[in-house]
Amino acid sequence: MTTLQFLADGFAVAFQWQNLLFAFVGVIIGTAVGVLPGIGPMSGVALLIPVTATLTSGLPTEAAAASSIILLAGVYYGAMYGGSTTSILLNTPGESSSVVTTLDGYQMAKQGRAGSALAIAAIGSFCAGIIALLGLVLLAKPLSSIALKFGPAEYFSLMLLGLAAVSGLAGRSITKALIMTVLGLMIGTIGIDAVSGIERFTFGQPTLFSGIEFLTIAVGLFALGEVFKTILEKDNDDGQIAKINRVFPTKQDFKDSMVPIARGSFLGFFIGVLPGAGATLASFFSYITEKKFSKTPEQFGKGHIAGVAGPESANNAASGGAMIPLLTLGIPGSGTTAILMGALIMYNIQPGPLLFDEHPEVAWGLIASMFIGNLMLLILNMPLVRVFAKVIETPKKYLLPIIIAISFFGVYAVQYTTFDLYLLLACGILGYLFAKNDYPVAPLVLALVLGPMIENNMRRALTISNGDFSIFVSKPLSLVFLIVAVSWLLIPIFMKMRGKNVIINEEE
Amino acid sequence: MWKTWMKFATAALLLATLAGCTSSDSSSDEGTEEKKVSNYPKNNITIVAPSGAGGGWDLTARAISKTMNDTKLIEKPIQVENKPGGGGAVFMATFATKESNNDYMLMVKSPPILINHEKAEGNSKFGYKDTTPIAQLTRDYGAIVVKKDSPYKTLNDMLNALKTNPQNVTLAGGSSPGSMDHLIGIIPAFKSGIDLKTVKYVSYDGGGEAVAALLGGNADVIATDASTIATYVKSGDVRVLAVSSSDRLEGELADVPTFKEAGIDEEFTIWRGIFGPKNMSKDAFAYWSEKLQAMVETDEWKSEVARNGWQSEYRNAEEFTKYLDQQNKIIVELLTALGMQK
Repeated sequence: MTTLQFLADGFAVAFQWQNLLFAFVGVIIGTAVGVLPGIGPMSGVALLIPVTATLTSGLPTEAAAASSIILLAGVYYGAMYGGSTTSILLNTPGESSSVVTTLDGYQMAKQGRAGSALAIAAIGSFCAGIIALLGLVLLAKPLSSIALKFGPAEYFSLMLLGLAAVSGLAGRSITKALIMTVLGLMIGTIGIDAVSGIERFTFGQPTLFSGIEFLTIAVGLFALGEVFKTILEKDNDDGQIAKINRVFPTKQDFKDSMVPIARGSFLGFFIGVLPGAGATLASFFSYITEKKFSKTPEQFGKGHIAGVAGPESANNAASGGAMIPLLTLGIPGSGTTAILMGALIMYNIQPGPLLFDEHPEVAWGLIASMFIGNLMLLILNMPLVRVFAKVIETPKKYLLPIIIAISFFGVYAVQYTTFDLYLLLACGILGYLFAKNDYPVAPLVLALVLGPMIENNMRRALTISNGDFSIFVSKPLSLVFLIVAVSWLLIPIFMKMRGKNVIINEEE
Repeated sequence: MWKTWMKFATAALLLATLAGCTSSDSSSDEGTEEKKVSNYPKNNITIVAPSGAGGGWDLTARAISKTMNDTKLIEKPIQVENKPGGGGAVFMATFATKESNNDYMLMVKSPPILINHEKAEGNSKFGYKDTTPIAQLTRDYGAIVVKKDSPYKTLNDMLNALKTNPQNVTLAGGSSPGSMDHLIGIIPAFKSGIDLKTVKYVSYDGGGEAVAALLGGNADVIATDASTIATYVKSGDVRVLAVSSSDRLEGELADVPTFKEAGIDEEFTIWRGIFGPKNMSKDAFAYWSEKLQAMVETDEWKSEVARNGWQSEYRNAEEFTKYLDQQNKIIVELLTALGMQK
């Protein structure tokens, strides 16, 4: 009852005209930030903090804090909507959390189904946003205490489960997928080791101290790889780009994506709640889960709508979930939420255990504004689908230079170093060679995300247990994840041995 | 085509003349600086935060630029640039070499400038001696924190546990071994003669995750900044055993003993300061020393400090340099005891 009362008060705050305006501006900027690779939600929010500070300077502190956090949060979840656009249309992930959307989204665009893919991404994002908000309203307190129980051992086992699921991203050959996984894990070890503080594979170069940037690799392998493929294979056959038949999804598309959206939302929400896991992981997990549960797993990677619906819902739900540790514990689960927290502190409002008691109008005003903002995004994005979908009809000779420019601009905006531009170029060439020889690049990218987390959490856990490996099975949650991971790998093999006809991954 | 080339040539000639003017100007300055007022700054000024947008260095740089321009202390626009990489080491290399004569580029930094230079791994070839320290602006302190239901009521309880059975105490912090949180955490153990190599330290990705580990029971003790822990003290989730300041803090942490009161004869400040290039000209140095001294007195600066939850602490160039020498000694001592020195 009291929750509803607070929520109603929150809506009263969110419906003030200036806050509606702030939410609107926030989601528009967020969409733009999401579409442009490089300017991610993190730098977008950071750059807007001084602007909102100026805009709200006339208001009393509490109201100013509420207004500016409404705008900044709008940028954050707005970016999750926009991130899918370039993934689907140009094979260029706008954010790291949209990398996995390129796998099926771009294929759909090639088949002339860009409109459906974009629309489903927007609808999925909306549903996920609402589900995550309901979770935030109803489950914030209990979930935050569960999230705290997640120690290094639990994280290790969860990440291991993610890695075990890499087989789900394999193309024709499991062996090649595993080679790529190991390559990703190896790249992940570059930099100063977070557990011992020791340099690894940096060759004394300060540029490498903080490791290889994930987005550089992903944009290089996916976007530039595709560009090189088109150029080198003289892929000028414009007939290959089918005309867009329809902008809105078919009935069948809706039917196929309903369950993935629901599953992706829940999965993404729970992963988002865990500090440090993040939206990127949520989208990967969702993709793998969809492929596992699908009746037609062989269609994945060839333009299956569930491969867009699931991950795009998951990354949006994760951004909602990440609000829980931020608001209830004062613990930012990702880079962007850390900056949102900094913004609140600027107004002398400390997110944490006391936020809901001390500043209810800020906390509930923000939550209520997110309902409104999500609705705005849906209304805003549906007409845009029609506009964006036209991009795909642009002739290649214009489209390719644009993709190259966006890729370089994006990577430089994140890293500010020319080293990353060379790396981007190298990854582009590699991406082409990999694709040509049937080496799937998605396992590499996933391993690059998971590798450092697996390693750090394993070593943290072992430090705590004084080197005793039983910590991974003595913690119940960790044990559950390990069992799921093992059965994920073994059950299909076992069933194949029993003569059952299951599709594992058709090995050549 | 020819026309364009001509344009280029004219422009180049103009530039060359201008450059000639500036260099002859500055050389004449040096002779007459006593009598004539210096004409620094002639160009726009850049303050570099050697990290991405949003961090402590970045916020400090932006606060300086905003205050200086808002109060009209400095009329020339001050631009803030982010140069992330290697925990500040990437830009440090540029700052100490390529930019060592550039009077128009300053840098915001904190204790990692000392730590990164002195530790063996991931080290920066250049340290504070390759810059011109101009002023310290803010400070924060380290805090040793346990959960509210922890058996350790005082710092001594924890140290005794560490002495008798180091395997049972997990110390955690938000940064890698040999960096700031770790050093703060081991100061008490070091001063009590405990072998630092037996102390278990688990590093997390940022102070927030370290607090999460403490609250979730995955760490027994954490070392973090005093300013961020206050809210958890207020909510009753944690207990702070000691703070690394020389005097008691105000506010939520007023009841917390300092290291000295707890019997540990050491202090550690998480300062933030501003540095000029190594070969900064006297004019520029004098200009900035004066302007910064004036800036910290303004209401605008005080409100920036309050807004960000910082504590103001000003040291001028001379005091700051002396202070850096002294803090550097502590850091070398600690790193040596850990076996992580250069």
